[in-house]
Amino acid sequence: MDPNESKEAFGNGVETATQSVNQLTMKEHTTQDGGGVQVTCFSEVSNEVTLHFQIIRLQKQIYAWIGCSSAKFGHLYAAARTRPSNTVSVTSLIGGTSDNTGSGVARRLVLKTGLNIILACDLPKNSPMLEADAEKRLVQKLISLGYTKPQV
Amino acid sequence: MDISTPTFPVHHSTLSLDIEGHKTEIIISSYEDHFLVIVTQIGSMGTILHARKEEGVSINPTFNVSVTFGKRDEPMLVACARQLIEFISASGYSKGLVLSLGLKDHSVGTLKHIVSAVIEKLPVVT
Repeated sequence: MDPNESKEAFGNGVETATQSVNQLTMKEHTTQDGGGVQVTCFSEVSNEVTLHFQIIRLQKQIYAWIGCSSAKFGHLYAAARTRPSNTVSVTSLIGGTSDNTGSGVARRLVLKTGLNIILACDLPKNSPMLEADAEKRLVQKLISLGYTKPQV
Repeated sequence: MDISTPTFPVHHSTLSLDIEGHKTEIIISSYEDHFLVIVTQIGSMGTILHARKEEGVSINPTFNVSVTFGKRDEPMLVACARQLIEFISASGYSKGLVLSLGLKDHSVGTLKHIVSAVIEKLPVVT
């Protein structure tokens, strides 16, 4: 091989390897499927309670699960902006009613992120501090992952 | 790709395949009391179904399958959920199933492929 060519090939190889290493370090708990589906899992402790979060990003929608010290699925909600006035609508799909813990979280997730959301939420009732904390951490994560749309 | 970090309580597995010409993503998550199966060709969850085994005393189990979001006029989607919950129950799990199908076509061929792909992958996730 011509020395210049081999130098260039080596340089390209180093660049590719560095990029791969960077990706590995940043996405520790994120698995990326070639087809554009990303799954992110993380846990955080809040007031002696462990909150678990799972975020599945699809092209046009985000699914999120919030668990509280367990792996129970909880109640399922769907929320999105709807016609005609683009206000946020939320509905409970499994378990829950429109005034349960998760429905408020789902609604505010859409407001803060501009995304179409399906949320499974197993937070205890009557724990507004925990609910607010979980919501805050989830929104922060969504923003840090770059999933949110700019809000007008 | 299968991922289950030792401390995270929910295991999941993702699969990307071609079904009858359409690129299909399948994500299976295992919670304590449910399986979540997301099958999408359209970039969103599409129709969401809930299936569970009914508590009963008879030898033959009965199942309750319903559409909770999306198309309620596609019986093949309900049939797909029914087959999967039956498999889950026969495999000894007492978990319910939340199935999301965001499909470009609802043909029998497509749904059969989906059922067999999920059945193959499910034991890996738990």
